[in-house]
Amino acid sequence: MNNYISVNINKVAKMMLNTKALNNITTTFEEHIIHGIIGPNGAGKTTLIRIIASLLKADKGNVNYILGNKKLNNIKSYLGYFPQEPSLYPDLSCQEHLEFFKALHRISDNAFNERCEQLYKVTSMTPFKKRKINSLSGGMYKKLGLMCVLLHRPKLLLLDEPTIGVDPLSRRELWDLVYNFAKNGMTVIMSTSYMDEAEQTNKIHVLNEGNLLVSGNPLEIMERYHLNKIEDIFLKIDNPKT
Amino acid sequence: MISKTSIKAIAFKEYKHITRDPFTMIIALIMPLILVLLFGFIVDLDYKHIKIDIQDNNNSQMSRRFIDILKSCQYFKINKLNSMLEIENKINKNNTPAMLIIEKNFDKNIVRRNSGKIQLLLDGSDNAKTGILTSYFTGIASSANKIYAKQLNTQYNKELIRTRFLFNTELNSKWFVVPGLSTIVIGLIAIILTSLTIAKEWENGSMELLLSTHVKSIEIVIGKIIPYFILNMLNILMIFIISLLVFKIPFESSFFIYSIACVIYVTGALALGIFISVVTRQQQAAVQFAFAVGLLPSFLFSGFIFSIENMPSLFRYFTALFPQRWFMEISRTLFLSKTNLKVLLVPFLAIIIFAIFVIILANIKFKTDMEP
Repeated sequence: MNNYISVNINKVAKMMLNTKALNNITTTFEEHIIHGIIGPNGAGKTTLIRIIASLLKADKGNVNYILGNKKLNNIKSYLGYFPQEPSLYPDLSCQEHLEFFKALHRISDNAFNERCEQLYKVTSMTPFKKRKINSLSGGMYKKLGLMCVLLHRPKLLLLDEPTIGVDPLSRRELWDLVYNFAKNGMTVIMSTSYMDEAEQTNKIHVLNEGNLLVSGNPLEIMERYHLNKIEDIFLKIDNPKT
Repeated sequence: MISKTSIKAIAFKEYKHITRDPFTMIIALIMPLILVLLFGFIVDLDYKHIKIDIQDNNNSQMSRRFIDILKSCQYFKINKLNSMLEIENKINKNNTPAMLIIEKNFDKNIVRRNSGKIQLLLDGSDNAKTGILTSYFTGIASSANKIYAKQLNTQYNKELIRTRFLFNTELNSKWFVVPGLSTIVIGLIAIILTSLTIAKEWENGSMELLLSTHVKSIEIVIGKIIPYFILNMLNILMIFIISLLVFKIPFESSFFIYSIACVIYVTGALALGIFISVVTRQQQAAVQFAFAVGLLPSFLFSGFIFSIENMPSLFRYFTALFPQRWFMEISRTLFLSKTNLKVLLVPFLAIIIFAIFVIILANIKFKTDMEP
């Protein structure tokens, strides 16, 4: 039996303030790969991520989490979630953030020291340990966010537009980080509105106005729909006759 | 199962936020100090230099002596009238808080061992003031009686009204105001500070991150309350010392009972702040709400300014909803009288019920998801 998490979304619908945020979404987030939820603003990406994170309840349908062959009732112990909005504490330092999450996740001192060292190393954040969040750059901020959610070694990592507002170099670094950790048995689901990032994922789930247009490997989708760029999918599916 | 580690982590994080935010530190520690000192010195319910019109129809040595006694205490500023016409004018124009008319045979009646008659007219529109004036005159009449008895070389034991003040024997309003004011300040600061804490997490976006972990709402609530609880207990100690050293208020009861009352009252106030924060989710709205819920009832319904006994029955029952009213009673009683817990059973029960109710409510209302 493997030790990875997969997520099945079954006919999930959600209304947000009288707007249909999600409309009968059915898809599978297979274990141990990087998934991209892509779509323009207002497509329903954040709503879907929050439903997977158990932060929103679906009006209809259900979400099933499978660990190996076992169905999980509560995902929170296995979850690492980094929201889209800034969510760290401006007056705390990087190290204080990690210590806070260490206590929340009840990580032992030895494991914490080992993981911290590793995280600081791969993120190149070691010189900024004592720096407060309000003086970090956008890229460093996101890296620290990732460090916080990776500290307890989650099996399911949810990232809501992690690269938004980040310079191209930092975006690449963040992607490298995600790849690095995904290799170690993590299922990663990240939303993005950057279409070039979608091509770097193993599977994309394309959303538009709350509807799932298509899901699959980005290269296969491009081939199937004869696309030059992945963003053309919105034109193809919205205008099937052309 | 509640996790102590999670509570400790949240409390420690909150402690760091508090100590690093000068605004919070000022509100938490400096503001109560300033308020108690400032209000303690300013709020003075003793009426002094009250203008009083006197018509002396007797104009004898005895009537003049009576006026001298009035003059010698600092409560009155005397304005002598010269005719009945002036009296009529003053009354018609409603232009006098108090008027004293000494009758023609005032001295003769006293010499004959009859009562010397003085008519006192009071403006009854200010109920509280009228009560205080009456007590002043009672005291003055009693002093005058003694002086006349001595003058006539007789045992004159007829006192018109025998008055004995319990507890605040000196009728010093500061003794009454400061224990009351500390109730308001502690409650207010506790409510305002905690009302910001959860709202700040929502506005900051950090609540979403926190809720995605397995931390429970009750752990967040308790973790958030602990540092503010310690801060408020420090405030109480500070105000207590100021009351004793600066305002020289005697503390007549058990400090242990007072501490227990403070613990319960502060816990309830902090939980109310958390409840406001949980419901509003916005710092600005939370502060406004906290002022409305913390400040207004503190002044209006606690008995600090307006006597609860004099309120219409509906409002009298309404005041029972506010812990400030009960803690005010506990605080004043413990400061000014030797009493035991039995006497304060109802106020104690009231603040305990309030604290438990608000903690449960805050926990129920605490949103553990991102639903709008």
